[in-house]
Amino acid sequence: MRLRLPLHGFLATGVLLLAAGLSTGLLQAAAGGPQQASEDDAGPPLHPDFALLDEEGASVLESGGPVFTLATCGQCHDTTFIQNHSYHVDLGRGQIVPAGEVDGGRPWDISPGAFGRWSPLTYRYLSPPGDERVDLTTAEWLMEMGARHVGGGPGLLARDGAPLEELRPDSSNIEAAIIDPATGQAAPWDWRESGTVEMNCFLCHIAEPDNAARTQALQQGNFRWASTATLAGTEIVALVGEEWRWSRQAFNEAGNADAEALGIRDPQASNCGLCHGLVHVESETPLVTETCAPESWTTLTTGQIFSPERIADSGLNLADKDNLMRSWDIHAERVLSCTECHYSLNNPIYYQEPSGDRPDHLVFDPRRIDLGEYLYRPLHQFAKGQSAQGLLAPELDNTLRGCESCHTMEGTHEWLPYRDLHAEVLACETCHVPALYAPARQYVDWTVLESDASPVTGCRGVAASSIDTGQPLITGYQPVLLPRQDASGPSELAPYNLITAWYWVYGDPPRPVPLRDLQAAWLVDGEYPAEVLAAFDADGDGALSHDELVIDTPAKEEMIAGRLQARGLESPRIAGEVQPYGIHHDVTGEEWAVRDCQTCHTQDSRVTEAFALSDRTPGGVTPALVDDSGTALDGQVVSDGEGGLLYQPATMEGAARTYVLGHDNVAWIDTLGAIAFLGVFAGAAVHGGVRTFTARRGVRSRPEVRKVYMYSVYERLWHWLQTVAILLLVFTGVVIHKPETFGVLSFRYIVQIHNVLAAVLVINAALAAFYHLASGEIRQYLPRPYGFFDAAFLQAKYYLRGIFRGDPHPFEKRPEQKMNPLQQITYLAILNVLLPLQVITGLLMWGAQEWPEAAARLGGLAFLSPLHTLISWLFASFIVLHVYLTTTGPTALSSIRGMVMGWDEVEAYPENVEEGGEPQ
Amino acid sequence: MKDFKHIWAVGLTATLLLIVVPIVAFVRWDPQPVDDPWASLPDHPQHTDHSSLFQGPFSSGPEVTEACLECHAQAAHEVAMTAHWTWLGDPVLIPGEEQPIAIGKANLLNNFCIGIQSNWPGCTTCHAGYGWEDASFDFSNETNVDCLICHADPSTYAKGEAGLPAEGVDLLAAAQSVRAPTRENCGTCHFSGGGGNAVKHGDLDGSLSYPEEHVDVHMGRLGFQCTDCHQTEQHRILGRSISVSVDTANQIYCTDCHLAELHDDQRITDHVDTVACQTCHIPAGAVREPTKIHWDWSTAGNDWPEDPHEYLRIKGSFVYAENIMPEYYWFNGQADRYLLGDPINPDEVTLINEPLGGILDPSAQIWPFKVHRAIQMYDAIYNYLLQPQTVGEGGFWTEFDWDQALRLGSEATGLLYSGSYDWTETAMYWPLSHMVVPAEHALQCQDCHGENGRMDWEALGYYGDPMLWGGRQGASATGDGGGQ
Repeated sequence: MRLRLPLHGFLATGVLLLAAGLSTGLLQAAAGGPQQASEDDAGPPLHPDFALLDEEGASVLESGGPVFTLATCGQCHDTTFIQNHSYHVDLGRGQIVPAGEVDGGRPWDISPGAFGRWSPLTYRYLSPPGDERVDLTTAEWLMEMGARHVGGGPGLLARDGAPLEELRPDSSNIEAAIIDPATGQAAPWDWRESGTVEMNCFLCHIAEPDNAARTQALQQGNFRWASTATLAGTEIVALVGEEWRWSRQAFNEAGNADAEALGIRDPQASNCGLCHGLVHVESETPLVTETCAPESWTTLTTGQIFSPERIADSGLNLADKDNLMRSWDIHAERVLSCTECHYSLNNPIYYQEPSGDRPDHLVFDPRRIDLGEYLYRPLHQFAKGQSAQGLLAPELDNTLRGCESCHTMEGTHEWLPYRDLHAEVLACETCHVPALYAPARQYVDWTVLESDASPVTGCRGVAASSIDTGQPLITGYQPVLLPRQDASGPSELAPYNLITAWYWVYGDPPRPVPLRDLQAAWLVDGEYPAEVLAAFDADGDGALSHDELVIDTPAKEEMIAGRLQARGLESPRIAGEVQPYGIHHDVTGEEWAVRDCQTCHTQDSRVTEAFALSDRTPGGVTPALVDDSGTALDGQVVSDGEGGLLYQPATMEGAARTYVLGHDNVAWIDTLGAIAFLGVFAGAAVHGGVRTFTARRGVRSRPEVRKVYMYSVYERLWHWLQTVAILLLVFTGVVIHKPETFGVLSFRYIVQIHNVLAAVLVINAALAAFYHLASGEIRQYLPRPYGFFDAAFLQAKYYLRGIFRGDPHPFEKRPEQKMNPLQQITYLAILNVLLPLQVITGLLMWGAQEWPEAAARLGGLAFLSPLHTLISWLFASFIVLHVYLTTTGPTALSSIRGMVMGWDEVEAYPENVEEGGEPQ
Repeated sequence: MKDFKHIWAVGLTATLLLIVVPIVAFVRWDPQPVDDPWASLPDHPQHTDHSSLFQGPFSSGPEVTEACLECHAQAAHEVAMTAHWTWLGDPVLIPGEEQPIAIGKANLLNNFCIGIQSNWPGCTTCHAGYGWEDASFDFSNETNVDCLICHADPSTYAKGEAGLPAEGVDLLAAAQSVRAPTRENCGTCHFSGGGGNAVKHGDLDGSLSYPEEHVDVHMGRLGFQCTDCHQTEQHRILGRSISVSVDTANQIYCTDCHLAELHDDQRITDHVDTVACQTCHIPAGAVREPTKIHWDWSTAGNDWPEDPHEYLRIKGSFVYAENIMPEYYWFNGQADRYLLGDPINPDEVTLINEPLGGILDPSAQIWPFKVHRAIQMYDAIYNYLLQPQTVGEGGFWTEFDWDQALRLGSEATGLLYSGSYDWTETAMYWPLSHMVVPAEHALQCQDCHGENGRMDWEALGYYGDPMLWGGRQGASATGDGGGQ
């Protein structure tokens, strides 16, 4: 190397860069392991340093008070606008109605959102005004549920919209009171003392919000300080004793907070994950989670995990983990974050106006708000799909760009026959979320309580034998497929988890039994009372195991009901519900998606596979579907025979009625077809047996025969091509109908081959029709009306009697009159009825993808497919008869030989001997 | 037609064609994979058991070589033409030089043990020959070629100073064990480059004798020997590294066996012009044994507590690291090379073998490197790197006198030593090409892209993460954009 500093400035730059990198590189390497590049790669942050202001607009450094985000962030952003236009903030507060009037809600739900809609997973109930027995007041709701609420809305405003701080403490007002859990008595709550919970910008917009500290402040009712506590993970504030103290040295000279140190940014997946589910984006540490971890909501309800990590690299005790080289979620793997799909609805980067609002001649409307306007007033309504809990912000349903907004099936799904049809009846997730690899809640049973006052729960996706080992083996689970009302109209099958819940309700109108009453009924001083133990402790060990802790007899039910009644609860009774939770994450790409046709196209396929709901049926109550989900349980909830329940899906029922080839069939069609086929077969066998028998016994003169050139080359080609096509069509049809019987054959290829063969058959038939019309040979197929029945009767008589006695055929077979009357009428029926019907039903089934309306108008696949099947049975039966009857010529094989070589042996009728072919 | 006897055959053929042709034409068949990397592997000829072919006794290495030559007459001559013997490559044009120069271990400096001149007996332990103990070694004497080091079972054979058989070696047993070279034969020297296991390369160490499949997919899962990729003709072994070989003449490419566009995923395929296969498929270096990443000669000679991985009195201070994240630089396969006597700027890091290429060089790709940084001696007056004698009489390792060691080194190299030395920093680049992990352990998008990515995009010459800022087509490189 030559030193070229003066001449080559670029080299000097490089050397300097290297020298700069060297020290950091060395430090990194010396630490002994792969390191992550620092986060400041993206250059200086856009966000300026800013003053932290309190409610009065004074710097917190001066006042020492809690930071007030509306004032702080409101220095530049329109925080009032943001707070007033956000479902995350309001959570249904503005939609509160009297109990029981929530469309599709439970009789005690008072709003469609989390503030007012009861969930058996969280159990606590926000009581409406006027309830004699109050579970949660507004203040308690913030303490109990605030961990998953960003603030604002119910944290600031009463249900009628008045500011909470204007409410006088009043134990008779559930919005200004709190319940003493010991006595159940209301006590006044002073909002001015506690402060209220304003929208917490930091939770989503700083790099490391301290959600635990925030939650703790909320739980303590220290609402005013919740936003401040969120900053606990940064240097600028710390808890000293019981007081939050601002740290002057963490602010710059002007008294402003360092935006870069705080990590002010647009929300990343880890921010969203604080409330929504398990997010794990650091690639170097293995992901771990508790079994059915309640703190990760979406992970708890569905098992979804948002992480780019390969599942095999996670820290989970997961069955067959080594082979799970796919990532948890392909979108996370491809460096997408939540907000790229769930974007702010006026974000000019992602915003797309509904196509209905746009003139047809415009593909793109460039008039949109500019970035400055957006940053001033970023709408905090976020694009969403259509969650199972369809009540949540339904006005925002399907605002996010769906799969098809970024992806096309063209060019990627060419291998998939009937691509469009599949796209129509299946959600993308159905194949692209083949399984969940984390445990999910299966059921929660609040009719009983564990000794720690928690309900009995079941976890899906965990090996049952390992649950009590302390290191449960996660197996993952395959979601159930339910019809989902799609944005575009028709229902499609989509993956869901089903969570079943049982709980006590009381009174009329019904209310869930408050937790404190339930606890009092079950536990006295933290112990099961003797009465309870006597009823439940089957093995007498003084403790109640999972299996013992179930209300499975009327006696147990009455006993607990009695204990609840004793607390003043009227007519306590067990209710049950099933809540579907839609699955849209944990998406995987091509390699891991469902590709095997027989996943669905086989008799016992997963489209109707039973989905376990529980290992118990408390009180014998069959749970009802919560009617808010945009889906339907068209199948049945049935007993698993061991006390538990299964959901048995049905594809041929309900709104999403569909016919899955190879999976569905109509039993009576197959029975009828089989009877026809076997009947013909048996008849031919008996007839042939009798013929052989009589031929052997009877002395019969061999009929005199002669050879006649019966079939032209084209006729033979047409016939044999048809033969091969039909035989292969029947065979491939059988494979499609019962794919599990022919496991080695590729369903996908067989379907395509079936279609090509059908085309060959139809073209062959069309050419033959033309030939027969043009040549006039068509006449041979038309029975002469005059004397037809006599002739047919004659022919039938021959088959029933004459043939056994060695009588000659009643009608001579001649090139210009090849068929007897029975043949004529049979072919007429086959060619004019069966074949067209088969072609039309087949064509419509094929065309279900091209012209779905045409197929749908004629009953859809659910009607066409069984009909097609029935006709194939009849074709198969005809083939048996046809082949058998070819043996009724002068010798058993002479007719077949005639159809091969053209020269047929026919019985010689004296008047024709000279003019026909050569007599033998 | 009426009487054509074989009309049935014609008809049958026609019928079948009318069925089969449309099926073949209209069914959408899966594309057949065209990639067959196995086709590129050399044959493994049947091994001849040599145990009965040697009677011995052998009293010296050359006697064994002579015995070998009785049957393999050309073998020693072939070896003698290679760099394994000469420790010099074919002459190449080095940037800044006017004439092509033959360079190699024999005449270069590095930043490990600095250089072999004056240190022959120690260094030539790994020479494929016998007796190279000073400058006077006779390279024309082909009976000094050491056949055994590559062909004998390593459990029967070892070399000592100047490459002579170690004491106590049973040469007859060693000769009788010969066969095609195994991983352990190559590993005897190459795993121990720099004087110990895993020291030098960062992607070669003793774990490769019997690697697990997730350490090296070729050797661990598929049972490769070194020579399956380092294919050999007439003892000329394919392969090179920019420590001594700065052009691509002998390069082995992944694409010798694999298709360049074998990824089903178009996103990945779009990377192959920019990113070397190694970058994704070798996520980390030194995954099993720690490798040396820093060597400070200036602390040698002190009476400090010794630890072979931290400090030795004879060598100075070290930093070892394992499972290291590679450093990433543009690399077009060629390198600049520091030659004996090249001037340096002692205040800057001297790059011993700077990889060439930059964001604007379409033949350059982003490659993973282990970088070894060192503090070594230079002539404080003449401003060039110096070569001390460390081994042997008067060498630093016995006398602990740098001045004397540098004088002796100067005598061997012929490079003047002013009598005044000082310490300067150097860096040496080791492209990672071994320890290819199975595809399912390769890097994923987020390993490089996004918030937690490992690439320093701006140092590589991009505006920022190319996922967001666009690829190299859009880059207007700052400097040469190579980060160096």
